[in-house]
Amino acid sequence: MIRTRGLIKRYGTHAALDGVDLSVPAGSVYGLAGPNGAGKTTLLGILAGLKESTEGEVAVEAAPGEIAVLPDTPRFDPWLTGREVVTLALTLGSRDRTSTAGDDADRVAEVLFQSGLSEASDRRCGGYSRGMLQRLGIACTLVARPTLILLDEPASALDPQGRREVLDLITTLRGQATVLFSSHILGDVQEVCDTVGILHHGHLLFQGPLSDLLVGRAVPRYVVKVRSDADAIAAALERSDWVRSSTATAGGVIHLEVTSLDDAERLLPSALAAAGAAVVSLGPEEVSLERAFLELTS
Amino acid sequence: MNLWRLEVLRLTRTKKWVALMGVYVAFGLIGPLTARYIEQILSRVGASDGTTITVPPPTPADGLIQYVSNASQIGTLVVVIVAAGALAFDAIPEMGVFLRTRVSPTWKILVPRLVVSFGAAAGAFLIGTGVAWYETWTLLGAPQTVPVLAGAGLGIVFLAFVVALTGAVAQRMRSVLSTVMTSLLVLITMPIVGLAPSISRWLPTSLANALADLPAGGTMLDYWPALGVTVVATAALTWAACAWSGRREV
Repeated sequence: MIRTRGLIKRYGTHAALDGVDLSVPAGSVYGLAGPNGAGKTTLLGILAGLKESTEGEVAVEAAPGEIAVLPDTPRFDPWLTGREVVTLALTLGSRDRTSTAGDDADRVAEVLFQSGLSEASDRRCGGYSRGMLQRLGIACTLVARPTLILLDEPASALDPQGRREVLDLITTLRGQATVLFSSHILGDVQEVCDTVGILHHGHLLFQGPLSDLLVGRAVPRYVVKVRSDADAIAAALERSDWVRSSTATAGGVIHLEVTSLDDAERLLPSALAAAGAAVVSLGPEEVSLERAFLELTS
Repeated sequence: MNLWRLEVLRLTRTKKWVALMGVYVAFGLIGPLTARYIEQILSRVGASDGTTITVPPPTPADGLIQYVSNASQIGTLVVVIVAAGALAFDAIPEMGVFLRTRVSPTWKILVPRLVVSFGAAAGAFLIGTGVAWYETWTLLGAPQTVPVLAGAGLGIVFLAFVVALTGAVAQRMRSVLSTVMTSLLVLITMPIVGLAPSISRWLPTSLANALADLPAGGTMLDYWPALGVTVVATAALTWAACAWSGRREV
């Protein structure tokens, strides 16, 4: 659906993107993760046709009218009602010239309901909160049924409940449209995306299925929580030849990197008992996108 | 809802049409009134040292001269501000993104804004002129019809130039304020350049005075060069605005 080759964008001498080879499969929910300033918004801007690349190739298999973009802080003319904004988005973005006014009104009402704005839809959006504007932006993005949706930090301004609803909404788009979703909140990316790209200082450090990133980066780890003396217990465990490293952190939590999970399962309980540990809990540490991200970018 | 209706709503809901109409109608009312009673006004506010101020009897042309002298400056300022608010659609980038990702090519966003801004300015100017004309007729006598209509026509061509200039400037600036200031700078510079008599008859700003000059005995021959330049400049600025809007990065 989207393919870039050696994409470079320079602002003066600063390269916001430096040789990005992006590949977004059709129908996927692609998460573009990276810290602030990584180049995510610039990359989305180029894909949306809002910016020119300095060098490189960009191929987007969608006509301009089939692409919908949601900026990170959407804003609209404050004297329009929410319903008018979404109706305008449908009129401007719609490819279906045969739909009637009634069809359009139904579609607008449907996305306003999906976005949780039905009650506020006839109020002028100048009085909307930031979260409501974000929801209105999402409604505008979805209303014309685009084939490619570019979302720039879509949940960053929302409260936890709003964030949950937006992530659920994105999940429902899988199969209906190709979604490219940028975020610095790695948990969101891990939750809704099947393919992920890690962008850092303009470089695409990793790209592929999320499972490849997590499994490929997986190092056998265990997490143990003890009642007290975490430092001493960590030091005692580190002397075992099946423990590669042992680090005590706040709250009595000990992170162990072990030679294998099998070794830990067999040997860890006796080692803890020998160290006199009062164990609260223990178990294998799940590899998160955050840890993989930190390993990639460190 | 479409881009044309959006622009009409921008004028009505933000009350910008009230500002436009208010300025031209107010000066349409005040101008002839001032011309009719200028002697009484001066005698009331004049010096108390016994100086006598003598003013020639007002003519019908004086009513329109007073209207134009006030409305051409404040009116143009309001037109620039109203037009800049509509034409600088990238001033808030997120709003620009909303339109640019849905409308292609970009000139389709710009054209309704140019036309509606110009239409509102021309409408307000015409209504103000009508008010000034009627009041001049009742207070000072009827001005000649053809020169008034010709002067109003040239005034509208000038307003088209003002809107096109603002549209072109808006595509090079990042904010509404910088668009207004730059457009006004260009418009203020023209009369200064026009202090050279050989140049003034070619400048678009000279058209703004036609409504005062023609009923007072001026001739259309004096305005053909400025009219030609203004029409060509308006077309060129409109083309530039459309071309620049398409090349801009948001």
